[in-house]
Amino acid sequence: MKFLSVAALSAALMLGGLEAATAQERGGIMHYGRYADSIFIEPVLNDANVDIWIMANIYETLIVPTKDGKGLLPGLATEWSVNPAGDAVTLKLREGVKFSDGTPMTAEDVVWSLKRASNPDNGIWNFLVASIDTVTAPDALTIDIKLKHSDPTILSALSVFNTAIMQKARFEAMPGDTDQAKAEEYAKNPVGTGPFILESWDRGATMKLVKNPNYWGTGEDGKPLPYLDGVTFEVIPDDATRILKLQSGDLDGAEFIPFARVAELDADPDINMELFPSTKVNDIIMNVRPMLDGKPNPLMDDKVRQAMNYAANKDALVQVVTYGVGTPLTSFMSASTPMHAGDTPLYPYDLAKAKALMAESAYPKGFETSILILAGNQDDLGIATALQQMWGPLGIKLEIKQMDNASRTALYRKGTFTMRTGGWTNDIADASQITSYYAYSPLIDSRHTGWKNEEVNKLYEASQSEMDVAKRTKQFARIQEIFNSSGPILSMYATPYPVALRNNVHGFFQIPLGNNIFRETWIAK
Amino acid sequence: MTETANHRATRVRGRLPRPLVIGGSILLLSLFIGTFPALFAPYDPNVFDYGALLQPPGFAHPLGTDNFGRDMLSRVIHAYTIDMQIAFFATVFAFVFGTIVGALVGYAGGIAEVLFGRVVDAVITFPFLVLVIAIVSVLGPGLVNMYIAVSVVGWVFYARIISAEIKVQKQLDYADAGRAMGYTHMRIIFIHLLPNSITPAVVYWMTDMALAILLGSSLGYLGLGAQPPSAEWGVLIADGKNFMATAWWISVFPGLAIVLTGLGFSLAGDGLAELLRVKR
Amino acid sequence: MQLLSFIFRRILHLLPTLLFILIVVFVLVRLLPGDPASAILGDRALDADVERINRELGLDRPLYVQFFAFLKSVVTGNLGDSIHLKIPVAELIKKRLPVTIMLTVMAALIAVVLALPLAFVAALKRTKPADAAIRGVFQVGLSMPVFYSGLILLTVFGAKLRWFPVGGYGDGFLDHIYHLFLPALTLAFSLSAILMRSLRSAIIDVLDAEYVQFAKAKGIGPGLVLMRHVLRNALISTVALFGLSIGTLLSGAVITESVFAIPGAGRLMIESIYGRDYPVVQGMTIALAVLVSLTFLLTDLVQAWLDPRVTR
Repeated sequence: MKFLSVAALSAALMLGGLEAATAQERGGIMHYGRYADSIFIEPVLNDANVDIWIMANIYETLIVPTKDGKGLLPGLATEWSVNPAGDAVTLKLREGVKFSDGTPMTAEDVVWSLKRASNPDNGIWNFLVASIDTVTAPDALTIDIKLKHSDPTILSALSVFNTAIMQKARFEAMPGDTDQAKAEEYAKNPVGTGPFILESWDRGATMKLVKNPNYWGTGEDGKPLPYLDGVTFEVIPDDATRILKLQSGDLDGAEFIPFARVAELDADPDINMELFPSTKVNDIIMNVRPMLDGKPNPLMDDKVRQAMNYAANKDALVQVVTYGVGTPLTSFMSASTPMHAGDTPLYPYDLAKAKALMAESAYPKGFETSILILAGNQDDLGIATALQQMWGPLGIKLEIKQMDNASRTALYRKGTFTMRTGGWTNDIADASQITSYYAYSPLIDSRHTGWKNEEVNKLYEASQSEMDVAKRTKQFARIQEIFNSSGPILSMYATPYPVALRNNVHGFFQIPLGNNIFRETWIAK
Repeated sequence: MTETANHRATRVRGRLPRPLVIGGSILLLSLFIGTFPALFAPYDPNVFDYGALLQPPGFAHPLGTDNFGRDMLSRVIHAYTIDMQIAFFATVFAFVFGTIVGALVGYAGGIAEVLFGRVVDAVITFPFLVLVIAIVSVLGPGLVNMYIAVSVVGWVFYARIISAEIKVQKQLDYADAGRAMGYTHMRIIFIHLLPNSITPAVVYWMTDMALAILLGSSLGYLGLGAQPPSAEWGVLIADGKNFMATAWWISVFPGLAIVLTGLGFSLAGDGLAELLRVKR
Repeated sequence: MQLLSFIFRRILHLLPTLLFILIVVFVLVRLLPGDPASAILGDRALDADVERINRELGLDRPLYVQFFAFLKSVVTGNLGDSIHLKIPVAELIKKRLPVTIMLTVMAALIAVVLALPLAFVAALKRTKPADAAIRGVFQVGLSMPVFYSGLILLTVFGAKLRWFPVGGYGDGFLDHIYHLFLPALTLAFSLSAILMRSLRSAIIDVLDAEYVQFAKAKGIGPGLVLMRHVLRNALISTVALFGLSIGTLLSGAVITESVFAIPGAGRLMIESIYGRDYPVVQGMTIALAVLVSLTFLLTDLVQAWLDPRVTR
């Protein structure tokens, strides 16, 4: 009996073991279809998602976000600690890390990179690490960061792309007098510690990454990462063409699949339609200044905005615009943002209540207004057309104006727009960035709407140095309570990142912040 | 195209050329549908029907429904209004202005012609779609601005045609006769010469109208043409692009409407050319 | 010598045209609302960042200063750097313009191959069913928006039948031609329809002319008549039309390059307009203007060769 059960047990263990170890296959180039080309692959001076989202494959940070974006993992640093006062961070560097050109990474590289990232003259991301005061290296494997004040976000900030470690000596040897000039030269042949190296870049067409032979990471088989020999990005702006290439097998993966095609690709036996959780929120931004265009602005009226919120059927929008892929928002920030508060969808559909609120407002008969949407964008078109129908019963006549991004941004920044479709993706795994743009008026007038709430402003400022997690959570909860009920935003739905991969692609993921991670990707033959 | 003085008619005198009849009928019908869309459309083209999303052509919806449940037949019919407007307004100002300028320049010759040649070169040399996009971006989206943008560039083509014709006419005997009789230049240009020169411009106008509809559809694809929820054939085709495999009817029927209307313009143009050609 | 002076005169005429275009594009591009910094930064744009970037780009200088700097750069041949891509505009043009040129030349050739023989058939068999059929088919081709017909061709011949690659540009001259065939075909549809119609009309004109009737009556074989008179006139019309159609071809190329993922000048132009990348828009416009003007010169020369009456 005993013998049998032991045998049975070992057999079960063996089988279980076999199943778990689906052996990663090495080799091969992955072809990935992108909708737009990158612009400037440099951690500190870049401006756009198209750069940020692929940078982690070339440059690495001290700390790395987990797959779900909520936690932190060791990257180029293996351990870290924050002092009780919250104004000093000590990190232990990983040993044996080399840059892609074979040069060992030193503490000096780290010190220099962090200082450069936090320099207010450099680029637009320095605000994420604005609290950094001094960076020193007491020994070859330790980094000491002193902050100007306690900063609860500093660890998350050290996992953001702009703090990636670059090679100081190489950068300073670049021709040019300014940081910008040197950075442009450095970016031509970027040297980082990441799993891939930029081999060639045919602008607007193809970008080829090849494996970094000096990469420190190891795979599950004990051999160095990455599993792939390389990644080739192909730029295919037209959605339909991108999908066609994926279906024909020319591409192994394609990003930004239009929601209308998600179900179709899901049903395709050769394709794995992934919906990676994201921090993406979709909303309508309303200008709430008292006067607009020399006339009184109906959107200034709280009751009007609440009525519009109640009349907007988010479930219907999710159905008709995202084809069921989205989920109604429970707060202005996505549920995957730390410090998010709220568990019921905002403003559930209630036309009767909406009509009642309009009747109580200063505009019982309705009014004429307009919305600015991105020209040619199918999602925006769907949203605006649907809202046009939904607000009709309230007497609100919505005129739809399509514009290109630059024109719309001009009106947006001037604060002369009436309404626009909007959205947000976080760049850092913390609630402070989105809150500063949406609700903290001193930054950009609350998304250029002119909305202002003193309590929210004070709470935000306090949260920036509040180290007690419970207290901080309460601060953000209160901010969200106020903003969600009286803010200038009509929050609609959250959407995932729709990425379609061929069935034989494994180990690829996109984190909620948007970064595409090819580090552990492999293709089965 | 060189017009030789003697032609053999290809049709029986006294009857309108067949292409003109067919083309003209199509156009008149299109005009009628466009003016009274409510007579033909079974539904309101803008009303959503959440219960009937992406329905294939069937009894309730002969041409199917789109991703909002809107009836495609009604949308295609209402698009006649907008597209006929586009065909006309995007071209008529260019036609009139171009004809006037072309006539004046062709008659005057000399410096005016040289200067005009430069302007024409400059306008034609600039990539047309890019110029239209730039102008629409500056002025804002919408049909009226599209008309402005298209006319700003399009008049040059008419002017070129007319100016070439006027130059030929100017050298004929009856023009000399007019001058000898002491008629003013203006009178000679517009009352005597122009009627004999206008044929190629009119024929071009017919083609231009069909091309204007297509331009509207390209702009619709880029989001810079007719604004939602206006039904316009080009926009309808662009809307259906994501559904080519799953709901082909959204793009195909507006496409057929464009083909039919384009055919109407082209046949009418050919017929008109025949009619006017023989009259000379 | 007359030929050389003709060419010289035409090139001389090019200069004021280019200057005019330069001024127009400089003004137009700056009339566009927005600026390069906010175009790229989008919703993240903070005023301080936008101002700093615009300052670094020299966009806060008065317009006339910027214009003269621009003129100087054009004359010295240095067209500046792309604001967003940070590489020289001249380099971008060298990379992208040839692609578009190849695409449009292929489209023009395909259009002629399609239109010429069928125009003859339609003209000879005028008012018979064959004529109507040919004209009908071309009408359909003319009426389909480029993005739609392109997508259909790509789906059927690229993805399903695998006869052609699914978009892209390829490596090496022959590979380029292979990749560009479908997009060139798409572009050729509308051009060939226009060509066919006017060719057919021109051929009919000539066939009806009395001197052709006279030649036939004198017993000169119809084949010879066709060859010498009709073909020559047909070619003259074709060439004239080419010149006028270059604008249409280039415009169509913009959308075709998007649909087929071709790294050409049309797509670059549009992306630069959207991104308010002034140096690229300005530089590319001039390059295109020079290109188109040279095309006109070429077509005029061919016309003159075919019909010496044309040169004044």
